[in-house]
Amino acid sequence: MPETLAARLNEDVLVASILPYYVDRKERLDAYAMYLRTPSGRERPGRYWKIDLDKLDISGHELGTLEVKLPASLPPGVVCIQLAEAFERYGTTLPWFGLAHGKFAALTHAFVNGGALLYVPAGTIAEEPIQISYRAQNGAVFPYTLVIAEERSQVDIVESIRGSDGCFVAALCEVHAKEGARVRYASVQELPSDAQTFSSRIAAPQKDAAITWATADLGAHLCVSSIDVLCNATGIEAEIDALFFPHDDQHVDLTTTVDHRVGESRSTTLVKSAASGAGQARYLGNIRIQPSAHGTEANLKDDALLLSKDAHIDSVPALEIDANDVKAFHGATVGAIDEDQLFYMISRGLERCAAEKMIALGFFEPVIERFSSQGVRDRVRAALEAKVTA
Amino acid sequence: MSHSGLRITDLRVNVAENEILKGINLAVEPGRVHALMGPNGSGKSTLAFALTGHPRYAVVSGSATLDGQDLFAMSADKRAKAGLFLSFQYPAAIPGIKVSNFLLATRNAVKPGDLPPAKFRQLVMEKMDLLDMDISFLGRYLNDGFSGGEKKRLEMLQLAVLGPKYAVMDETDSGLDVDALKAVGESVNAMRADPSSNHTGFLIITHYPRILQYIKADRVHIMIDGRIVKEGGPELANEIERSGYDTIREETALHA
Ligand SMILES: Nc1ncnc2c1ncn2[C@@H]1O[C@H](COP(=O)(O)OP(=O)(O)OP(=O)(O)O)[C@@H](O)[C@H]1O
Ligand SMILES: [Mg+2]
Repeated sequence: MPETLAARLNEDVLVASILPYYVDRKERLDAYAMYLRTPSGRERPGRYWKIDLDKLDISGHELGTLEVKLPASLPPGVVCIQLAEAFERYGTTLPWFGLAHGKFAALTHAFVNGGALLYVPAGTIAEEPIQISYRAQNGAVFPYTLVIAEERSQVDIVESIRGSDGCFVAALCEVHAKEGARVRYASVQELPSDAQTFSSRIAAPQKDAAITWATADLGAHLCVSSIDVLCNATGIEAEIDALFFPHDDQHVDLTTTVDHRVGESRSTTLVKSAASGAGQARYLGNIRIQPSAHGTEANLKDDALLLSKDAHIDSVPALEIDANDVKAFHGATVGAIDEDQLFYMISRGLERCAAEKMIALGFFEPVIERFSSQGVRDRVRAALEAKVTA
Repeated sequence: MSHSGLRITDLRVNVAENEILKGINLAVEPGRVHALMGPNGSGKSTLAFALTGHPRYAVVSGSATLDGQDLFAMSADKRAKAGLFLSFQYPAAIPGIKVSNFLLATRNAVKPGDLPPAKFRQLVMEKMDLLDMDISFLGRYLNDGFSGGEKKRLEMLQLAVLGPKYAVMDETDSGLDVDALKAVGESVNAMRADPSSNHTGFLIITHYPRILQYIKADRVHIMIDGRIVKEGGPELANEIERSGYDTIREETALHA
């Protein structure tokens, strides 16, 4: 009998779970309580958006199997291992769940059943991207990824998330980029169209570190994501590039947050979204510049393209600027395909639907180009093309 | 063939319920160059858009045929496939679509499979060379961040690569420097003379006689307030340059 999540919490099976070490029963129960009491802060159901994220009952899901594929060969000193092994090997010496906050991060914390640790030693430059592949099989899975990039190291991570029909994925990823480290984390989510996914991504770069999140949320019926960068030091370069594209009756809710607590850092957020069919989306782009964060430069740009009359995207840039002497810029657009662009292309011989398709795909290119691996770029393009054609 | 040519007969066009074109008659034969001049707002671009099928321009009455085919019975893309090309006065910028991809997609649309890829590349290179364009333009997004003159050069490049039967050039000369103007002239002259590009016929919309120093116009038409009020040889362009449209306005008023 596959066990449900409720049973898993209530019975003492946790003690004997596959991850007995570190995440003990009490910690899980605390995290679950946190999940229950934390408001989602997300879109309320209404005319367009149909799902109440605060009333989601997950207790009936069956626990699934998380398949984790990691690279076979790695640069010297780099560690990339399964989470269970990492808990065994490093015990309390690593900052497990040290950055987690928010409702859905707590959910992963409560049920974590697999994941990966990536450790890059000081000064190490990993030339090849590190591929981390997650596959959710038959039920609910809770992957946790911890990345620690030591001083002046450089690493490029490409995460891929797939799964079987009807799966449920609550993923948490934390990135610690130490002084002068450069981390790029690309994630491509291609879950089946009846899946649900909640993902939380949080980075805490130190002085002069650079972090780039590049995410493509392509699949799932319900996709709720958050991407956070906490700028607690000077000289940080933070970049968030995100794209999503709900079609049919997919729902996507993305929140990005760059929190400038200390000044003299720079952040860029670029979000491109399209919706077709009855696709629904909400994007909330937070930029916070706290009173002491002088000399901060923050940029936020999001563009939303509506490809059908029932599609809807709410796009809300939210800038809280409490410091003087900062440069903050934001720009947002929402609209249908521009008729003049369309006519330009059609007048050169392209059929209307071909022209619309080209414009819609081109619209995502500025984000796609930020994915550093050619393979990923082509995969994202192919997935978007399939959606535009659908 | 008696019905060859781009033939416009008694054309009336409305824009947003306003009558803008009030009965236009004009015919462009293959390999011929017609210049269309007229004050701002007289309806020149309206004519260009109505011919190419822009949805905002409503044809009220009249006809337009391209080598005998009824243009107004065709969708805009079919008109391009039939051999009509418009060089836009204000070309749209389309981020995310590379010039190289667009050239290939449009050539395949209007002349499917007529050139093997190597030959196509060669054609593009030749035309870029002729227009003095750097090949780096191929990797840029369509008109995105292009200067005014660069946009016009890209229009000319597309015109040369697509090789239509008839081309309407809407103020392609505005914003071009002298060298570019010369290059445009050479390109047009080559196309009208070239049997392999169908002896393209041109309708050149312009405010300045200067471009006609490089391209010999067979006929000059003057449009005022949605009507062609005067026609003549190339010397008519210089007359306009000298004395503006007022004299013509007065003449037409007298005739009316
Ligand atoms: N969408 C519109 N709504 C209302 N009037 C319009 C619209 N588009 C064009 N017009 C009007 O139609 C008339 C003709 O415009 P058109 O662009 O054809 O002029 P033009 O001869 O090309 O001028 P120019 O030399 O300045 O390019 C103008 O009076 C213009 O204001
Ligand atoms: Mg005009």
